[in-house]
Amino acid sequence: MIILGRRVRMEQRLSTPRLLLFLVPVFSVFLALVVGGVFLAATGHSPIGTYLDLIDNGYTTFYGITDTLGLATPLICTGLAAAFAFRMNLYSIGQEGQMYLGMIGGAWAGIAIADSLPQLVAVPFVLLAGAATGAAWIALPAFLRARLGTSEIVSTLLLNYVALNLLNYLIFGSTGFFRDPTTSFPQGRLVADSARLSPISFFTDKVTNTYPTFLIAVILAVVLFWLMRVSNYGYETAVYADSPNTARYAGMNSTWLQSSVLLISGALAGVGGAMYVVGPAGKVDPGLLQVGLGYAGIVVAALARYNFIAVIVAAVLFAGLRTGGNALQISNDPVPIAIAVVLQGAVLLFALGGELFRRNKIIITRVQVAT
Amino acid sequence: MANLAMVTSALMQHDEKGALALAARGVTKRFPGVVANDQVNFDLARGEVHTLLGENGAGKSTLASVLCGLYRPEAGHVVRDGKEIRLNSPRDGLAHGIAMVHQHFRLVDRFTVAENVVLGHKSLSFVLATAEIEAKVAAITEEFGLPLDPRAVVGELSAGERQRVEIVKALYQGAEILLLDEPTALLAPPEVEKLFITVRAMTHVGKSVVFVSHKLGEVVDISDRITVMRGGKVTGSVRRGEADVRRLAELMVGREINIVARRAKLPTSDVLLSVSQVHLERDGVELLSDINLDVRAGEIVGVAGVAGNGQRDLAEVVAGLQTPQQGNVTVCGTPTARSGARGARRAGLAYVPEDRLGTGLAPSLSIVDNMVLTRERGFLVDRKSALVESEQFIKQLEIKTPGPLTPTRKLSGGNSQKVLLARELFAVSGARVLVVCSPTRGLDVGAVEAVHTLLDEARDAGKAILMISEDLDEVMTLADRVMVLYRGHITLEQSGNDADLDRVGRAMAGIA
Amino acid sequence: MNSNIWLLTFADAISIATTLILASLGAILTERSGVINLGVEGMLLMGAVTGFLVADSSGNLWLALFVAVLVGVVLSSVHAALTVGLRANQIVSGLAMVIFATGLSQFIGKPIEGDPLPVLIRPIDFGALSDLPLFGPVVFGHDLFTYLTWALVASASFYMHRTRPGLLLRATGDAPATVDAQGGSVARIRWVHTMVGGALMTFAGAWYMFARAAAWNQSATTNGIGWIALALVVFASWRPLRAIGGAVLFGFSLQVPFTLQAEQIRILPPTIVAMFPYLITLAVLVVLSTPRARRLLGAPKMLGQPFVRDER
Repeated sequence: MIILGRRVRMEQRLSTPRLLLFLVPVFSVFLALVVGGVFLAATGHSPIGTYLDLIDNGYTTFYGITDTLGLATPLICTGLAAAFAFRMNLYSIGQEGQMYLGMIGGAWAGIAIADSLPQLVAVPFVLLAGAATGAAWIALPAFLRARLGTSEIVSTLLLNYVALNLLNYLIFGSTGFFRDPTTSFPQGRLVADSARLSPISFFTDKVTNTYPTFLIAVILAVVLFWLMRVSNYGYETAVYADSPNTARYAGMNSTWLQSSVLLISGALAGVGGAMYVVGPAGKVDPGLLQVGLGYAGIVVAALARYNFIAVIVAAVLFAGLRTGGNALQISNDPVPIAIAVVLQGAVLLFALGGELFRRNKIIITRVQVAT
Repeated sequence: MANLAMVTSALMQHDEKGALALAARGVTKRFPGVVANDQVNFDLARGEVHTLLGENGAGKSTLASVLCGLYRPEAGHVVRDGKEIRLNSPRDGLAHGIAMVHQHFRLVDRFTVAENVVLGHKSLSFVLATAEIEAKVAAITEEFGLPLDPRAVVGELSAGERQRVEIVKALYQGAEILLLDEPTALLAPPEVEKLFITVRAMTHVGKSVVFVSHKLGEVVDISDRITVMRGGKVTGSVRRGEADVRRLAELMVGREINIVARRAKLPTSDVLLSVSQVHLERDGVELLSDINLDVRAGEIVGVAGVAGNGQRDLAEVVAGLQTPQQGNVTVCGTPTARSGARGARRAGLAYVPEDRLGTGLAPSLSIVDNMVLTRERGFLVDRKSALVESEQFIKQLEIKTPGPLTPTRKLSGGNSQKVLLARELFAVSGARVLVVCSPTRGLDVGAVEAVHTLLDEARDAGKAILMISEDLDEVMTLADRVMVLYRGHITLEQSGNDADLDRVGRAMAGIA
Repeated sequence: MNSNIWLLTFADAISIATTLILASLGAILTERSGVINLGVEGMLLMGAVTGFLVADSSGNLWLALFVAVLVGVVLSSVHAALTVGLRANQIVSGLAMVIFATGLSQFIGKPIEGDPLPVLIRPIDFGALSDLPLFGPVVFGHDLFTYLTWALVASASFYMHRTRPGLLLRATGDAPATVDAQGGSVARIRWVHTMVGGALMTFAGAWYMFARAAAWNQSATTNGIGWIALALVVFASWRPLRAIGGAVLFGFSLQVPFTLQAEQIRILPPTIVAMFPYLITLAVLVVLSTPRARRLLGAPKMLGQPFVRDER
């Protein structure tokens, strides 16, 4: 590329300076805030004021923090799900649907056990049921990909919409197992008490939105991180993601690797859905879910560059954006919550652009005019 | 310079047919680390078939690329019809009527023959005059004996037919001079015949053809002249009739052998690797035919051959990465042909592929991580002992690296090869058979020496080594027995000490 | 059963197909050059909301449509800059675009949420012709833009398969190295077709707003049509003319729930029926995945791969 008489060339870096690794995400956020600020100003809001409000409500107030952590809980799960798959160049975007199915599966388990199991068993059982249903929901796309080479992008995506309709059907369209029998108002049946956890009160007497499931999510991320580091499975996926030819040379079974990665990804998203059942919802609740956390998980994963520990940080960050954005809606200067979504998208777009600088050096030289 | 002008204009005053159509004068082309063409002179007469003969790396493809405008030489120039021309791109070449047909076709599978032929053609109308184009293509295919249906979808054509499309493409664009790079590499014998008919048809109407090839046996009949290259220089040139096959082979591969042969010091013992009647086929193309070989403990068997004659397929079948349609592979007494790569390893085989960084190693992973790649791993990966091993090898083999945790893509060619060999020779316990491909490709002299020493020592330690290499010098240096692989067949077998270089060279070039 | 209402449903399906056709045509052109732009859903929304806002303040339908197209060009340029210029991952970029554009549309649409449409696109009055049995509502019951869309599809098909730039376009998606070797500019071809694709996508959204939507409401307005358009590209084997058939089919399956409800037919609950378009698309995807189908009708070979030229 030649600009203004100087040749601009890109050359792959051999190593990335530590500083850059840190600067790129930071700059992405900053630039996103600038872009968001432009739209805010254009619609008559004060950017600085809005952002300060946002940060305040999302990260500093008691209810802000607890709401943020509560929202981060399923977001960590979907973020892990996306990171797990994207790492292997498997672009499953079905976390949304898998989460819904996880909620359904978890609720089924929670209702089915009635009061027959102690909490220590019931809660994990519900979560595992959620994981299993999430995995089941991705099983078809995984199979299609393994057998027929069908793109997982469109197949997982379409199932999102099927899942949404299924969810609505179970609550609004039918009067079956999942409906609350005690009322004609369309809402979900509560699961057994033993399948639920109480919110964390943080040594106050307030009722928060943070549940122990947050800790479970964090532990899940850490365990997954550690497991993938030390286990043979993690090793083989790392080799395959780096160089499929090398994996073949080493005798690894790529079909098995790809399929299992997709299934685990589905399971992780499913757990996120089941965490709603164990935590705030206690039942199938379409209303709580429809905030696009599945898609947000992809943004979180991309920003965390598919590192599971970083997913935790990114998830909390984005959850705070949402929480803050929520509060903005009812503040003195109401701003549509959509600004949070805008910021999410913008951060990712800038991060993508910034990837370039992380991977390459820009070399500018004078051009010798050909004679 | 004045002399040259006089000479070339004198030549042009000859009858049209013999006039000088194209020439290279003092062409020098360098790439990082190698001089591909060193002061090369070459000329092509109108209506002539002139073959550039040489092994891989001799510089013939490079020269052809310079002649068509794909490469720009550091020194020297190209002469067309007596005038010096400057070619900055293949498009410039085309403008002068020079076209190259590459070994690896550049076709769009989805398109028809006609669409591929006209893609990128300068004077194409906005709305495609499909019928007209197809008619023109049909005319060309008829005139030059290239049976093709202009409407056929290229993706469904055979290799020979696809090559015809490439040739038609060149002719459609008005090429008067065609450079064919290894044209018979992908063809079966009957298709080679058809190609030669086409070439004759082209020269008949005054076009000139340059064949770039290593297959002496095939080109000797079709060529009006043969120019042999070796190591970037022209070593000789003969006309039809003067062509002494023996002499040509000598020019191609013969050399002063100042190499110090390294042979087994101890007597060999049991057969550890046995390959019998292996037959490999893919998509209807025969890749390996009736391969039989044995390797004993304490010996190195070298398989020589020019690139593209089935080396990789042979290595992969032996290593279990490909399953042959027929035949057996036995490693340390265990049949492994159908056991997959892991089965072969468990039986005691280690494999060092030619492609170090893209296949043998995971480039972004550390040396430590790569060290455990080909061994049996449990549920957890034991990196601790791998770390210890890596540090040992780094010291022992003097591998230059910031540390054992460095990603392998940061290592130089020689050092990454040392890592590979360290792993396959020592780290994989119980490996008694080693298959190694082109172990010193692209390495500097010091690294070559180090690798050869490692292989020598492994031989002394009782390993059975199958070395498949395109570097004849290497094979002659190390091998106790030498075989030649040509078009998927083993065509020669001799003991290393008695190896007649002449015969080996001819076998590599495909002549008896 | 009232056959007339099914005929009307079919006519309706053709109408709704316009959005699908336009959006998927945009995607086809983009993908044929080798770039995959998943941001369709977001582009539709941005087209719709921008159109509304401009029409609201100016009262001029044509200006609204024009601005919507401009927005599409700008947004898709961002995608092109990231993926073609900077060789970023096309999947992630497209998804980021969906999220960004969805959020942005919601954000700027807040003030006008629920407001009645300022202008409408009405069907052309063909008089007696539209009362013809069978043909009437199906052929003569549509607006100007729907007819123009059909013409556009025919033109696009001609462009792609019968013209020189179309040949280059198709070659770029399959074998960019070949195009590059011939001296063509892969980057330029990709940029142009990504931007044109984006323009069509936002136009599709704007049309939908004025011709079919009742008002602006982010979550209910397009409801996944963008994603169906992407699946439609596969269904159509990346050929414009085939997109029409698929679009009508999908349009039909999108309309059926409403018809069933109107006719009080309750064989299946509406939520289940609402799943049909997606399930059908999935089934089509599977059928098209067989090796034979892929070879003959498959995606551009290098779709989604950034093009890097080997240095000489």
